[in-house]
Amino acid sequence: MEYRELKMSTPNGELGKSAQSANSKTTKEPNHGLKGRLAAHGRLEQIIVAGVIVVAMAALPSLHIGYRFLSIAITTGYTAIALYGLGLQFGQAGIMSVGHAAIIGVGAYTAAMLYVHFGVGFWVALPASIIIAAIAGGLVGLPSLRVAGQHYIIITFCFCALLVVCLTNGGSLTGAATGLDVGSVGRVFGINFDKLDNYYYLVLVALVLSLAIFYAIANSSYGRTLRAIRENEQLAQAIGINIDLQKISVFMVSGAFAGAAGILQAYYLRHISPTLYGAFPSLYLALMVMLGGARLMYGPLIGAIIVSFLPEVMNLNPVDSRIAYGVALLIVILLLPGGVSAGLLDIYRWLTARSRALFVKTGLAP
Amino acid sequence: MAALEITGLRKAFGGVVALGGVDLTIPGDKITGVIGPNGSGKTTLFNVITGVFPPTSGRVEWLGEDITGMRSHQIARKGLIRTFQQAMSFPGLTVLENVRVAMECGERRGAGAGPRWPSAEAILDFVGLAGRGQEEAGSMPFGNLRRLGVAVALAANPVLLLLDEPAAGLSDNEANTLTELIIKLPQMGIGVCLIDHHMTFMTALCTRLVVLDFGTKIADGAPAGVLKDPKVTEVYLGGEL
Repeated sequence: MEYRELKMSTPNGELGKSAQSANSKTTKEPNHGLKGRLAAHGRLEQIIVAGVIVVAMAALPSLHIGYRFLSIAITTGYTAIALYGLGLQFGQAGIMSVGHAAIIGVGAYTAAMLYVHFGVGFWVALPASIIIAAIAGGLVGLPSLRVAGQHYIIITFCFCALLVVCLTNGGSLTGAATGLDVGSVGRVFGINFDKLDNYYYLVLVALVLSLAIFYAIANSSYGRTLRAIRENEQLAQAIGINIDLQKISVFMVSGAFAGAAGILQAYYLRHISPTLYGAFPSLYLALMVMLGGARLMYGPLIGAIIVSFLPEVMNLNPVDSRIAYGVALLIVILLLPGGVSAGLLDIYRWLTARSRALFVKTGLAP
Repeated sequence: MAALEITGLRKAFGGVVALGGVDLTIPGDKITGVIGPNGSGKTTLFNVITGVFPPTSGRVEWLGEDITGMRSHQIARKGLIRTFQQAMSFPGLTVLENVRVAMECGERRGAGAGPRWPSAEAILDFVGLAGRGQEEAGSMPFGNLRRLGVAVALAANPVLLLLDEPAAGLSDNEANTLTELIIKLPQMGIGVCLIDHHMTFMTALCTRLVVLDFGTKIADGAPAGVLKDPKVTEVYLGGEL
């Protein structure tokens, strides 16, 4: 019987933890340049690119792109928020999860159950969703302390399925298979959030906040600690880093992001059900974060945009779009280990290097 | 000034006794060397001291505190920092980031826990990696990787540095530069205990040598005496000299 190993692309292009040996150089040839280039990519440049994308997104409603596109944009927005959480887990700490949708589900169901059983509205449920999803994230992270990368991924997959089963069998508490209806955000400060445009701006504000937090974490000593754990756990311990604590902490932060995404989704869809948070949605999230790239600031956002808008722009039906995603993922794994964002960075570098060379040739050195 | 007190340390992996009851005192203000044939338990000694695995029996006391069985990161935070036989670094990070991570760990231990470096660049200067801050650690040549290992260990604010074969794989020149580096450490308030096989390297550096063989201590004293000890020459240095 032929045994094929599923190669999960990690930020290092290796198989999770088990492939990590002290400075193994053989598997890293294509990545040497990548890491160097990523490291040298100025913070300012990243902020500018992310800023441009956000401004473009903010301009969408005024372009009158239509209900359908705006809906997709809203979905992209809150999905991207969840992706920034996954990006921290995967890009910074190096721990992939295909159970992230389940954590979003925890956030969404927290909001929905608070509404249905206690009449609690959006603004009060928001911190609750974030906190409870953070706790769920931490709990799901516990097995990763004992189990290596690719095995942990399977555990997250199982957790996702488990959550769906629990929700489906939760009777009237969780709405079972039918799910739960959620109210509307209503009017706050005179803004009517039932209007799609305004809900879109709400999501956008949350997205910008998520971006800012992601950026702050990635560039802090906490971010450095996470990256150290990703690069060499043994050495990290030897210099005093409590790797178990730090790993759980990043799972909780990632969960917080997912919780926010969950409540935004719940109040957008106005009705949630267990199938939204199963294994397939989780795989899509993993796909987006790998496609877009987990390390650069605009990576997760690009991943969300590509996966959400590609079928629309290219007019693909669901089956064809899945084929397209599969092909795109293969291309990324084989050719662009840092994701599309890193690929774009390479193109930019290549172009600016060429233009610099052009200047030098013509004697117009900058 | 005794810093590290090891009493009756035993470590057995199933039926294999790696350490068979070692009593040792390592001062925190000198350079002590641990030598012995391969398999004599030197790295196991370091591993047990730094909490990589707990001892089967025995006691490790650091600065008067019993640290037996504590976890590695807790022991590291008490100023006991070790390096590894394979040159270890954080390969995907730049040289500066490597040192910065360790500095941030060291700072968390609070003031008065050891010499404070003014900056990461200062540490890089000290180990001879000045100007290489932006290089990617994983793509550095071996000699520089060793230096980076020392830089990272120093940045973590050690009171006692445990170096596991720091000269392994280095040329004679590189080993000499390393000697010059290590010999400065006690005056800076950092005690050193190192394992290695380069005899010239060890005699140049160590004020005291401990010899292990099959997990037990067979000699302990000034290098001159130890290297002439018939037990040591028989087991390690090759018969009569």
